[in-house]
Amino acid sequence: MRPGRKIGLVLLAMSLLLAACGGGKSSEKAGESTNGSEKVKLTIWHNFAGDDLRAKAVRSYIDQFAQDHPEVTLDAQAIPPDGYRQRLSTVAAANEMPDVFFVYAGSQSSELHQAKLLQPITEVLDAHPEWKEKFLPGAFDPFEFEEGQIYSAPLGMSATSILYYNKALFEKHNVKVPTTWDEMMTAIKTFNDNGITPIALGNKAPWVAQSTILGSLADRVTGTEWFKNAAAQQGAKFTDPEFIEALGYFKQLVDNKAFQEGANSIDNTQAEQYFIQGNAAMMISGAWTLTNLAASSTEEQMKDIEVTTLPAIPGGKGEANTISGGAGGGLALSSRTEGKAKELALELIYTVSGPEAQKSIAESNSMVMYDAEIDQSKVTSLYYKAYNLVKSTGITPVYDAYLSAEAAEVINNGLQEIMMGGSVEDVAKKLQDAQARSATP
Amino acid sequence: MNLQTTGIGSASGKRTIMKGLSGFVKLLLLGYAILTLYPLYWLFTSAFKSNQDFFTNPYGLPKEWMSENIFRAWELGNMGRAMLNSTVVTIISVALTILLSVLAAYVLSRFQFPFKKAVVVLFTTGLLIPIHSTLVPLFIMMKNIGLLDTYGALILPYTAFELPIAIFLSMAYMSSIPREIEEAAMIDGSGWWGIFGRMILPLCMPIVATISILAFLRFWNDFSFALVFINTQALKTLPLSLSLFSDGFGTDYALTMGAMAIAVIPTIVAYLILQEQIMKGMVAGSIKG
Amino acid sequence: MPTAMRSKGFIAIALLPALLLFLIFVIIPVFWSAYYGFFSWKGFGEATFIGLDNYKEMFKDPIFWRALRNNLILVVSSIIGQVPIALVLAIVLFKNSLFSRFIRSAVFMPMVLSTVVVGLIWGYIYHPQFGIANHVLEMLGLESWTRAWLSDPKVNMLAISIPINWANVGPYLVIFIAALQNISPEIHDAAKIDGSSGWNKLRNITLPMIWSTVVVTIVLCISGSLKAFDHVIVMTGGGPAQSTELLATYMYNSTFSVYRYGYGSAVSTMIMIVSAILIAINYFATRRKSS
Repeated sequence: MRPGRKIGLVLLAMSLLLAACGGGKSSEKAGESTNGSEKVKLTIWHNFAGDDLRAKAVRSYIDQFAQDHPEVTLDAQAIPPDGYRQRLSTVAAANEMPDVFFVYAGSQSSELHQAKLLQPITEVLDAHPEWKEKFLPGAFDPFEFEEGQIYSAPLGMSATSILYYNKALFEKHNVKVPTTWDEMMTAIKTFNDNGITPIALGNKAPWVAQSTILGSLADRVTGTEWFKNAAAQQGAKFTDPEFIEALGYFKQLVDNKAFQEGANSIDNTQAEQYFIQGNAAMMISGAWTLTNLAASSTEEQMKDIEVTTLPAIPGGKGEANTISGGAGGGLALSSRTEGKAKELALELIYTVSGPEAQKSIAESNSMVMYDAEIDQSKVTSLYYKAYNLVKSTGITPVYDAYLSAEAAEVINNGLQEIMMGGSVEDVAKKLQDAQARSATP
Repeated sequence: MNLQTTGIGSASGKRTIMKGLSGFVKLLLLGYAILTLYPLYWLFTSAFKSNQDFFTNPYGLPKEWMSENIFRAWELGNMGRAMLNSTVVTIISVALTILLSVLAAYVLSRFQFPFKKAVVVLFTTGLLIPIHSTLVPLFIMMKNIGLLDTYGALILPYTAFELPIAIFLSMAYMSSIPREIEEAAMIDGSGWWGIFGRMILPLCMPIVATISILAFLRFWNDFSFALVFINTQALKTLPLSLSLFSDGFGTDYALTMGAMAIAVIPTIVAYLILQEQIMKGMVAGSIKG
Repeated sequence: MPTAMRSKGFIAIALLPALLLFLIFVIIPVFWSAYYGFFSWKGFGEATFIGLDNYKEMFKDPIFWRALRNNLILVVSSIIGQVPIALVLAIVLFKNSLFSRFIRSAVFMPMVLSTVVVGLIWGYIYHPQFGIANHVLEMLGLESWTRAWLSDPKVNMLAISIPINWANVGPYLVIFIAALQNISPEIHDAAKIDGSSGWNKLRNITLPMIWSTVVVTIVLCISGSLKAFDHVIVMTGGGPAQSTELLATYMYNSTFSVYRYGYGSAVSTMIMIVSAILIAINYFATRRKSS
């Protein structure tokens, strides 16, 4: 009997002890300010971990900061993008944010802001007006959580609905590059008749169809105004006829077999390769495709590829010559970083997202939300075409940047459902329900 | 081992049928083996392809053998250091798992004491736990006891999560070891530690090797704990190096394959060594009589 | 001879370290997470106590039921797939010849590879345009059978269960081999003298001898299938339109993609409850059989 009781008591004591530990809040601060000669500790987390030019460019500016500031012990962590959200969410749960960290535009940064884990970086922007002014219109929209307070400066632009097309295939089959919906339908039919996939799509990660196709398509039908109201759940609903009509156009693409079979089970990279190898005539994709193709295909393959915008929709309320897009993610500052550490953290943010960095990122075949003069010789020809296209067109919102995380998930899955034969009305209703839930907590 | 030839000559016709059957079975097994080895072949050939080659020619041999992927991945993923960390963490965790689980299993399968059933049930529940939900509580707990960002932050949870399966396998195994062996030893005057160390542990070598294989694979390939509980670059383990080359918008398959080819080699070696261990146990098992 | 006191000491020292480690790093976090299941919480920021609302919502959510159904498909396929295949292979490959060693190692290899590689290669096998599966069907003249295996909701769960089973035979094979070794050669000799062989020997001697191991493998199948996560994440991510969602992927998405930590914790608690029920059923079913 005695050992048994002893075991029980020890266990009880242990669990109580641990529970007590867990309940208490840590009062430790990450970026403790130090006086005088002592070194300041700074941590930065980002997901520019790969071998691509953009990641290398960003990392080089972090290294440069470390070199320029010997008084700082910089702990820079490149976290695999696959695990980045999970990692950040876990440390957020324990209130252990690093001083500076990369945040995505949209629900992630706004959730972190609501949880009071961020502080504005407005002062560093105001300190460098020549930098702030060169950001493109709307660059700070996703990060201006309060009037006049900006929480991040975007490191990139997500132009999400560029229509890439293979000029050689269009010429060979004597098809006109579509500028109207009817021409699009004709093109789809002709290519299908000739055994060529009209549009390559890799929608295994289900945000792809939403981000690249629906956003732009719907905007042409409903107009931007309507979408912003519907997202805010003020005076418009996703069950409105406009939106049903917009989803209907997407369904038309599906019904006319615009996408290759099994588009829902192949990833974006595979779809890009399918397209660049000439198996498909078009691909609707974001600027990231430029970066990916620059890394994995030859100039030879790319010379046939041209870029344009999606065709106009008859009677649509939105403007035609637009691309959906907006600010990409940027670096944010932890609300717990203060004093000297904060000063240096802001300096770090400036180094990594400042004018020089923006130019380098743009020259790594990756779009920026910044008016950078790029050197044409440093980028691929396709990127340069797209860069000029995006400069000349209007920008409309990307759906998931305005929807709640849950509603974005619903519309992503909904588009897959439509591709599997689901009904447009059901999807619209589910989206409306989800967005209504998060708009009225 | 020659079972067929020990039979009496009378059933020679039957024997040819048996031989034919076993030839057929062998062929079948060979086919199955090719099916299971193919991915390994695919991984190693893909690791030497360029991205274009990978896509235009997914099944064939590389058009041009590129060792560059392997070197780039090794350097960029800081894989030398990561491999060292993985080795340290995995070996300590496996050793700890074996020691704790076999001891515990021995006690649970041979002794009667209060709350024994409750302890067994408690360990059973350990088989059911999806690890992702424990990430946040574990993170907070380890932060508070100062374990975060040390080898211990991986070793202790790895071992703890592997204990249930290890204990269950050992208990099932021990239930078929005859008790007479221990009784004999007890008469010889050996204490429990002596019996455990000199009789039980050697008899358990096959299952120890089995547990080691399973634990090794689990620890070596774990991504979630390694992602969340380790901060310092110098302490990162291999799985983190493997996912560096995919960013949600695109994947650099050539580098990913290169990194994976590097990471898989130690697991193959470990498996082959431990399999030999199971076989040695087999010989020991037949000697025990 | 060990005294009673010394046995007690041995029990305590041998069992306590394992028990303590397990309690601290597994059981406490589990209860902790189950506790979060009663809150509406994003994973950070404010948490509100909402009682059983997460569970009520879960039971009303068709996706939860679909995930549960998909998990049950995996449970069944692993019990009727992995266990018998591994057992048969173990018996056939029990000999220590070079051939059986080679086959044994080969069968284990998918387990050695990371799930990402397994997922990728099967993604290619099932690829709608360049896939081997469709190619083979076409060669056999079965064009009408070809399809996009991973995106067609009628077949994709089945298509996924094949690689999962295929990858997991290895460990069960090793477990069975270890168990078979524990049968002493005399028993085999005795069986030979009795003239038992083949099926009879398997049923009357081998199976009863390793029955406890069979039960353990079934328990492992159940718990493993209910926790299944990696392969599905790599092959389909739970899609399209959540048709291959599993409880674990559903939980993961709720927790880390949609920022509903409380709800995710409730789902995770439910995974444990469901597996506990199934394991209890297995316990009673196999006990009756063995007695």
